[in-house]
Amino acid sequence: MMSETKELMVRDLKKWFRSPAWLFASLVQPILWLVLFGNAFNPTSMIPSFQGSGAIKSQILQSTFGGAPNYITFLTAGMLCFLVVTWAMWAGGPLVTDRSLGYLNKLLVAPISRTAITFSLLLSSILKGIVLSGMLLVVAFVLPGGLTFASGFGVVDLLGVFAALVLLSVGFLWLFMILSVRARKFETLAAIGSTLGLPLLFASSALLPTASMPGWLSTIAGVNPISKAADIIRYLIVQGTLSGAILSTVVFDLAYLAAFALVCTLFGVYTSNRGLRME
Amino acid sequence: MSKIIEANGLTKTYPPGTKAVDHVSFTVDEGEIFGFLGPNGAGKTTTIKMLTTLASITEGECSVGGYDVKTRQDDVRRSIGLVPQDAAIDGDLTGMENLVLSARLYKVPDETMKQRAEELLGLVGLKDAAGRLARTYSGGMKKRFELISGLIHEPKVLFLDEPTLGLDVQTRMAMWEHIRGINKDRNVTVFLTTHYLEEADSLCKRVAIIDHGQVKALDTPSALKSRLGREVLEVELPEGVDFSAKLSEMGGVREVTKKGNVYSLRMENGGRSLQEVSVGLWELGLKVKDVRLTKSSLDQVFLNVTGRSIRDEVVDNGDSFVARARAERARG
Repeated sequence: MMSETKELMVRDLKKWFRSPAWLFASLVQPILWLVLFGNAFNPTSMIPSFQGSGAIKSQILQSTFGGAPNYITFLTAGMLCFLVVTWAMWAGGPLVTDRSLGYLNKLLVAPISRTAITFSLLLSSILKGIVLSGMLLVVAFVLPGGLTFASGFGVVDLLGVFAALVLLSVGFLWLFMILSVRARKFETLAAIGSTLGLPLLFASSALLPTASMPGWLSTIAGVNPISKAADIIRYLIVQGTLSGAILSTVVFDLAYLAAFALVCTLFGVYTSNRGLRME
Repeated sequence: MSKIIEANGLTKTYPPGTKAVDHVSFTVDEGEIFGFLGPNGAGKTTTIKMLTTLASITEGECSVGGYDVKTRQDDVRRSIGLVPQDAAIDGDLTGMENLVLSARLYKVPDETMKQRAEELLGLVGLKDAAGRLARTYSGGMKKRFELISGLIHEPKVLFLDEPTLGLDVQTRMAMWEHIRGINKDRNVTVFLTTHYLEEADSLCKRVAIIDHGQVKALDTPSALKSRLGREVLEVELPEGVDFSAKLSEMGGVREVTKKGNVYSLRMENGGRSLQEVSVGLWELGLKVKDVRLTKSSLDQVFLNVTGRSIRDEVVDNGDSFVARARAERARG
C-alpha cells in the first residue's frame, strides 16, 4: 500500500505545483490575513494613546493575551491553525474532481488499496500544510512589530508547534475526506467548506482569547480542536521553556488533539472506504 | 479456443429496483474483439462495470481472465485494462507521467516500463507528445493515449467503453486501426461497447446486441445480418395498375409494400432473389423506371430484434443522450 500511496501523493503534489493560482492563493492568503487582520483588529491599538497607555497595553497583553509580546504573535498561532484547517477542507477536492471526470474509475480498477487513494491526499495535504506553515512563521517573524519568540524557544518547541498542527489537520482532513468521498460535485465541498471555515475560526481562540467571549461561545471554543492547537502553539512560542501547570495543560491539549485525530481517522478510514467500494 | 470472459445470468439492480442489466449471458474468446452494441442506457457501461469490479453483481456468475469476479477481485484487476468512457488520463500530468503512474500502480518494474512505454507510444504515434501536459492534447490524441494507458501492465483483456464517442469519422477510423493493431500485435482480447453500427460491424469479430439490459442477439456481424437483416429492393413501376400481387408471387420476395408507384420488396437474404426478381419483371414486360437495392445492415438487425432503429435513437435523442451518459457516469 505504501508505494501506491506515495505515487498518488506525488501526483497530487505535482498538480499543486502546476496550478499557479492555487499555489499563489495558498501562499498569499494566510499572509494577507496576518498583515491585514493583525493590524486592523489589533485590540491593543484600539486603546487611545495617552500617557501611560503603554503600560495598559502591556497589562492587557499580559492578562488577556497570555503574555504575548504583541497581537501578531498571538494571532500567528491562530493563523497557523486556520491555514492547516483550510488545507484540510480542500484536501479531498481532487477526489471529487477525479470522480466527476471519470479518472477515479481508472484508480478503482487498479489492484491498489482503496485506502491508498484517500491516504495519498491526506499525506500530501499534511506536507503542504507543513511547508506553508513554515513560510507563514517566517513571514510573521520578519513583519515589523511581528512574531516574537520567547528566549528559550528551541527545536523541541518548534517540533511541538508542528506536532499540534499535524494532529489538528489529521482530524479535520478525515472529517472532510468523508465528505469528499460522498460528494459528486466540487460545489458541495465548496459550499460546506466556505460555510464552516470562518465560523470554526471565530468559535475558537485563534483570533481572540476565549475569556472575552460570552459563556456559551467560550464553551464551544473550549472544545474546538482549533483552540487547543492554537493554545499549545502560543504557550510554546510565548513561554519558551514549559513547566508546572502550563506544561500539564500543553500535554493535556496535545492528548486531546491526538484523541481527536485518532477518532476522526478511525471513523474516516471506515467511512471513506465504504464510499469508494463498488456501486 | 479458451474463454477469457464467461458471464452467466449477469444481473445488476440499482435501488429502488431498476434492472440496469437483466440476466445477461455471453462468453468472449481469447484474442477476439467482442462488441456490445446498444443504444445509450441499454446497460453497456453497467456490464463493463461489473466485469471490471467497479460495480457489484446483484445476481449471476462471471469470470474474467479465469478469475471469479466476485471473489478474486485483485486477480481480475491485474488481468484487465480499462479505458472508461471519459477521462482516463490526468491532464495536469505529461503523457509519460501518466504512463509511469499507471505502471507503478500495477507494479511494473521500471526497466520494463520504459521500454513498454516507448513501444506503446510508437504504436499510436504519440512519441513526440509524451513530454507534453496531457491537457494540451487534441481530442483524438487523448483517445489514442487513453487506449495505451490501459495497456502498460500488459493486461489479458482490454475493456473499452465507447472508445470513439464524439470523434469525427476520420479519427474514428484511425482509432479502429489502432484497436485492431493492439488486438493483433499485442495479443490482447478487446471487449468494447459502442452505439456506432459501423464500429461494431467493422471492428468486432462477434457482436452482442443489448437493449433494456438484455442480450437480444449474439453472433458475428455477417451471421447477424444474414439471419436477422433484410435486403430491400425498391422498384418504381408505371402508375395506374397495382402490381403488388404479381410482385409478391415472385421467388425470393417475402413481403411487398406499396407507396405511390414505388414498391418495396423485402427479400430473402443472400441467394438469388435479386436475379429472380429481375427475371420476373422482365417476363411481365413491365417498364421499370428505377431500381434500388438496400443491403442488409446491422441497423436492420437492430430494428428486427428491438423493434426500433438505433440510428433514430442516436439522432432523435442527440441532446438527452449526452445528459443520460453524464447521469449514468455520475451514478458511478
